Amino acid sequence: MSRGYYDYPVVRRPVWTWEVPAYFWLGGMAAGAYVTASLAQTFGSPDDRRAAAGGYYVAAAALVPCAPLLIADLGRPDRFHHMLRIFKPLSPMNLGAWTLTGFTPIAFARAASHAAGTGLLRGPLGALSRLVPTRLAELAGCVLGLTLAGYSGVLLAATNIPLWAKSKLLGGLFMASALASGSAAVTLQAARRGAPDTTLHRLAMLESAASAGEIAVLAGYLVQSGRTARPLTRGRFAAPFWLGAVGAGAVVPFVLHRLAARRRGRALQSLSTVAGLCTIAGSLALRWSIFEAGKISSEDQGASFELSSD
Amino acid sequence: MIDTYKRLMNVEPPPPAKKPRGFFTDTSLCIGCKACEVACKQWNRLPADGFAMTGNSYDNTGSLGATTWRHVQFIEQAKANSSRQDQRWLMMSDVCKHCANAACLEACPTGALIRTEYDTVYVQQDICNGCGFCVPACPFGVIDRAPKHGQFEPGTAHKCTLCYDRLKDDMTPACAKSCPTASIQFGDVEELQQRARRRLAELKARGETKAELYGMPEGKEAAEVGPLHAFFLLLDRPQTYNLPELPRLPRKTMAQRYGWSAAVGVGFALVGALVFGRRR
Repeated sequence: MSRGYYDYPVVRRPVWTWEVPAYFWLGGMAAGAYVTASLAQTFGSPDDRRAAAGGYYVAAAALVPCAPLLIADLGRPDRFHHMLRIFKPLSPMNLGAWTLTGFTPIAFARAASHAAGTGLLRGPLGALSRLVPTRLAELAGCVLGLTLAGYSGVLLAATNIPLWAKSKLLGGLFMASALASGSAAVTLQAARRGAPDTTLHRLAMLESAASAGEIAVLAGYLVQSGRTARPLTRGRFAAPFWLGAVGAGAVVPFVLHRLAARRRGRALQSLSTVAGLCTIAGSLALRWSIFEAGKISSEDQGASFELSSD
Repeated sequence: MIDTYKRLMNVEPPPPAKKPRGFFTDTSLCIGCKACEVACKQWNRLPADGFAMTGNSYDNTGSLGATTWRHVQFIEQAKANSSRQDQRWLMMSDVCKHCANAACLEACPTGALIRTEYDTVYVQQDICNGCGFCVPACPFGVIDRAPKHGQFEPGTAHKCTLCYDRLKDDMTPACAKSCPTASIQFGDVEELQQRARRRLAELKARGETKAELYGMPEGKEAAEVGPLHAFFLLLDRPQTYNLPELPRLPRKTMAQRYGWSAAVGVGFALVGALVFGRRR
């Protein structure tokens, strides 16, 4: 017998739909790609810089659907601009709206500046893009990008949904997944355009570090959540979570990158490509399964009581 | 400069603060007539929710929601082979708690959720853009978003307004006005709290040993969300009424969660700097 009022839920079921995890995934990937590209620009060799700069294109492209997805999920999409009528960083939703508003033009400007530099963008637009202060754009973009990658998990955690709120690590988990998928996207385009082996090796090392970090944070998240994590680890979302998020998203790419460390040429490019695709797919599976399992968790009276009685 | 901004942006000065108003819901007096539910629906012109039968006692309302701002619970406590004295039928009219530290208000990114001059929590319907963040933020499962394509105020968040429009005209909220047993009492929060303490002492003296107040400033449930401006006298543990023992305010845990998130980000940047910076 339940302790509460029949078996009725204590909290309400979130009203959000698929647009939200899709946005978390794309926004995180954009941020991760931007940060990876900027790290290569700042610390890398000329080869690294050339190969990783494509990450700015990835970031810009992934950001295109972000704002439309966020707007589509609103109950009143015609009032999307009300998000920006106040500045209230206490609300992760408000912070995220401002961050996306700031990050999107910077990412586009940096991508345009790279396009102008390679001669892809000519004419007056190219001339204008050449004026973009690249160093400043990289620094500001990294700060805003890391905020964008890092706030989404905190947003879900700043609720009373047991699966999202119990652990301290959901923000860190989404951050790790964003950086892993973003660096994977950079690797994908670098491998496709035949980047030198050294650069691919470096990207593989960075990615395997991100995957290892993600596995560690994920383990911590599951331990802290305990029985609360059941809607995620068992039942309908067990397959997308274990096979998609954990397997394809973190374990497989980690192993492939370890293998790639000793390969060269075509073999290296193929391994990097497969690992990158796995990471990106797994990143989507992670956001989607945690997001959807949260709805089941919201109906768990016992988990709500456990969350609110520590 | 701020004055110029306010003039240009047409910012109205807020109305002068009034004494905090609220509800004291004394469940020991509730007879489960649901007059509060009906009066609330009528005054606030909330649509009916259909005629679904839950099979759980006389409660076919189920829960609070976008179009249900009072909800009468029917808790049947009757064990098999128990004596008549052990059998109880608890009734309780649930409502938005108008928390002193309201999770919904803190979550709101648009400023649609505000604290009124009566210290109540109110959704400005012309501001809310239906982001839905207040819905899972509320520890009591009160506020909800109306369906996007429904007839009633589509796509925005709704909950009890403590009859803000009636307060403006010095009237009692509809539910309290209609309550035939004074189970729902409306008034100045401080005065209601005094009344509640007296009532609890009275009930304890009569042998209602399990009676307790929920949402008082001194209660442990007020640790995070603060005193509830709609508070309750209960005849059993809060969980019996689906009320959390320690309602959580998400803000309290946010810094820690941002901290871990930032740690992962900084860690990645350091690894990146090392990996790319290594000379071959």
